[in-house]
Amino acid sequence: MKEGDMVGITAKVSRFNPETDKEPHFETYTVSVHDGARVLHVLHAIHDRLDPTLAYRFCCEAGQCGSCAMRVNGEPVLACMEEATDGMTVEPLRLPVIRDLLVEVEGVLARLAPFEAGEEPEIPSKEEIEAIKPLRDCIECLSCVSECPAVDVASFLGPTGMRQEMRIALDPRAKHDRIKKAIDEGLFTCTTCQRCRDVCPKKIAIPGRAIEKLREIANREGLTLPRHQAVARLIEETGRSVDRTKATFLEQVPEVVEPDGPVRGEVGFFVGCMYNGRVPETALDMIEVMKRNGIRLIIPHDQVCCGSPLIRTGQTAILPELKKRNIEAFARKGVTTVMTMCAGCGSTLKNDYDTPFTVKDITEVLTEYGIEPPARLDVRATYHDPCHLLRGQGISGQPRELLKTAVREFVEMPSRCCGAGGGVRSGLPDEAAALGKQRDDEIKKTGADIVVTACPFCEFHIRENTDRPVKHICTLLLEGYREKDRKRNRPAKG
Amino acid sequence: MYLYNARYIKMHADVEVDCHVLVIGSGGAGARAALEASQYGKTVLVSRTLTGKGGCTPMAEGGYNAVLRNADSCPMHVADTLRGGAYLNDPALVDILVRESPERMADLIRWGAVFDVTDSREIAQRPFGGQQFPRTCYAGDRTGHEIMATLVEQLRSRDIEQLQETTVIELLLDGGRVCGAAMLDRNGGLLLCRADATVLATGGGTRVYDISTNCAAGTGDGFALGYRAGAELIDMEMVQFHPTGAVYPYNARGRLITEAVRGEGGLLLNAEGERFMHRYDPERMELSTRDVVARAIATEILEGRGTPHNGVYLDVSHLPAPTIEERLPIMLEQFLAFGVDIRKEPMEVAPTAHHIMGGLRITPSGQTTVPGLFACGEVAGGVHGANRLGGNALADTQVFGKRAGESAGRAAKQSGAIPISAIGAIGARLERFRAGSVPPIAIIETLRRAMWDGAGIFRTEASLTTAGETVASLKTRTPQARTDRNLAECCTVENMLEVAGLIVRGALLRRESRGAHVRKDVRTAWEPAQSPYGHTFQSRSGEGIEQREVAA
Repeated sequence: MKEGDMVGITAKVSRFNPETDKEPHFETYTVSVHDGARVLHVLHAIHDRLDPTLAYRFCCEAGQCGSCAMRVNGEPVLACMEEATDGMTVEPLRLPVIRDLLVEVEGVLARLAPFEAGEEPEIPSKEEIEAIKPLRDCIECLSCVSECPAVDVASFLGPTGMRQEMRIALDPRAKHDRIKKAIDEGLFTCTTCQRCRDVCPKKIAIPGRAIEKLREIANREGLTLPRHQAVARLIEETGRSVDRTKATFLEQVPEVVEPDGPVRGEVGFFVGCMYNGRVPETALDMIEVMKRNGIRLIIPHDQVCCGSPLIRTGQTAILPELKKRNIEAFARKGVTTVMTMCAGCGSTLKNDYDTPFTVKDITEVLTEYGIEPPARLDVRATYHDPCHLLRGQGISGQPRELLKTAVREFVEMPSRCCGAGGGVRSGLPDEAAALGKQRDDEIKKTGADIVVTACPFCEFHIRENTDRPVKHICTLLLEGYREKDRKRNRPAKG
Repeated sequence: MYLYNARYIKMHADVEVDCHVLVIGSGGAGARAALEASQYGKTVLVSRTLTGKGGCTPMAEGGYNAVLRNADSCPMHVADTLRGGAYLNDPALVDILVRESPERMADLIRWGAVFDVTDSREIAQRPFGGQQFPRTCYAGDRTGHEIMATLVEQLRSRDIEQLQETTVIELLLDGGRVCGAAMLDRNGGLLLCRADATVLATGGGTRVYDISTNCAAGTGDGFALGYRAGAELIDMEMVQFHPTGAVYPYNARGRLITEAVRGEGGLLLNAEGERFMHRYDPERMELSTRDVVARAIATEILEGRGTPHNGVYLDVSHLPAPTIEERLPIMLEQFLAFGVDIRKEPMEVAPTAHHIMGGLRITPSGQTTVPGLFACGEVAGGVHGANRLGGNALADTQVFGKRAGESAGRAAKQSGAIPISAIGAIGARLERFRAGSVPPIAIIETLRRAMWDGAGIFRTEASLTTAGETVASLKTRTPQARTDRNLAECCTVENMLEVAGLIVRGALLRRESRGAHVRKDVRTAWEPAQSPYGHTFQSRSGEGIEQREVAA
């Protein structure tokens, strides 16, 4: 066999010896490996040639057993599939560390639901098999559990635990209904942030395929959390998930808002319950930004809740009616693009609806049209990625691009769920607050003066958990425009 | 100073476990054996990996052979298996495999296995090489994963003690009877387990070759453990080389490229662009049996018509892209990960060591030649003869896993102590590793190359003798354990040397070409069915090759 070219790889590897170390620390190793080597082969080279005490787990080396999940450059991967890169850092999953890269997994694995078989072998139908299959690809690597924010702060078995419960719920051969067990295991603690789907080597969409579906079963059995039931009742009665406590956005704006200057474009605007009823000021700021940038807004007043709070909490009975009303409201106006500025609504319209129009987040609309540059505010800003924007819609670059034009300094912080989603804020406020607190810790670490985001749930929730101002990107842009105007109107010195 | 005598170990072993049945290995066979045994008494399942993540079962893609349709029949499945095995199989074991495979499939279905089904609620089946009927049941291209997931779900609902990431280093003997095992835990701590009956289900060992499809646990430890405990092994020379393994990049060498690629119409081409199979098997071409295709590819490479990476081309780029995406998704995904788009360019492939057909001699109830010791799955020999049919291995794990587990479960209670004599030389062995001087990898790499070169697809007495000499010389070197946590690796290195030696000696004993075993230096006139030879056998008390009566 001809051997491939050798390359040098330097890796920073997390080491921890429980007998002597209080904390893990990094060691740097340089090894020579074959071109195309995976992370696992670098670990083998370190173990075989430099330090045989390095502890790590592996077996099939073909991405099929799930033993070698670990974090490379911060992200969970299978070490046997991920190509090694020079300068990479290798760390254990965020689970209790036994030694070096070895983490404790037996406890969680042992608690995954067993299959209690009936007596007669009964072959399921093709449709039943096809429904279960996507949940069956799991290789139990526990990457999802290690990254789940709910596991961190609440009593939750974790995403794959719910995947396993749904797999059993879908199987006609399983003996018992286990929905009460799933609830005990933490079904309602999931914020549907979708981090689990992103880190899954098999890309299993656990929130959509398992958690929301299990919550539907719970709903049919009358086990929905009382606060979630109250939200559903409110939507059914008012078409909105938020109580009217002040003048709503839709009460304050006409159905068509013309821009100040020439019309460069036109979009429909889907306001969503939060911006309509709870933080209409932000949506009004948005109007100013659009007017200034030449984009006409069509705002049908008969639009209603998108249904996201119902989907996330498994209360989907009236969902078809909401979808119909919303689609008709915009279709009647003949718009081809509907803009959202609530990440949750945007994700729902894009992923749970079949719309005759294109749906775009406001940050997409603004970056596509291009905007008048605002004045830079003299602040250091950080950005919180809304889960339903980052993972629900795959949008991360556009808000940063806009943000960077409007502030003196931009500083990143690790992206993580703030705790507001999935009905957790209303249903389990303590958990939501614990996650909000974690966001505050990260905000503090950045030293930022302000926090910018692009979702009303995040905006509202983080504001409750930090002393720094939290602003929607539109509000920030508007402040930049006002600053610009102030400077322009100020007589020049001298 | 540590004094590693038997009494010391007896007093200082970290834990002592007592059970009715000890099952070693948590792949398809071991898990099935443990499920069965647990109905009879306390069962301990010990696994070098996390339960269910080791062994080849979770990696198996193809399928599970079972006679399920009226148009198929058990005699047909038996005939296919014997013919495929070049009539070296133990007919009684084949009979059981075929008869009980459907029942074990029914167990899996009852336990919730998610196999593909037809529109009329029958288990779907597809054609596999060397079989007269499409009898291979499947769960997409992750059949083994599905079986393993099903078994693990069952293990979690039973009262079975699991010792995970624990390496068995020696079987314990009480007189001539196996009475449990000595193991090392994750930290290298010694642990003794006493059992009324012990089931060996440690899987295969083609990791003794440079290029192999096996997972990291495929080091053949069970063959060595059984051999040292006095068991007789048969047909160890019978190593199946799968024709199509990856050759590039270097670290992916040997990774299995499923037979389905050829089944879907993949063409084998040499570096000159010639579809060379017409010179080896003009009738069946790419869909000839594994041994024939493997030899053809090896010949092309040896004769200088190989690709730059020393393989041949396997090309599906003439197929419509959607067909590839739908039928070969895992292949597409795996090659894309290595920068090759198989929709547009050919794969490069070469043979890779895949399966050991030989193993511990068993009776139909899974009993080995040593009292108290049972074996099932790839570590047992006799079921597949000289060449295994695709789809028969997963069936083997379930049929003989169940049988071995049941037999062990029915074994009589033994006295509840491990005799000090059983612990024997374990302490001295571990101490030797602590004082060892050779990095384990140095021994392993030399061994793998020697086995690939001398005991690979083509063998001669000279090449086998050279390989045997290398193995013997490597046995004189002592692998080094820098810490207690490296002790298990050192035991594995010694086990690999033992397995390699068994393969080489078996290959020298068999002076004929038969199935997967090709002796280029021996010419024989007979067809496999008329061969005068039966099993090769090796144990600590002797070795040889059985002569058999054949009808003229």
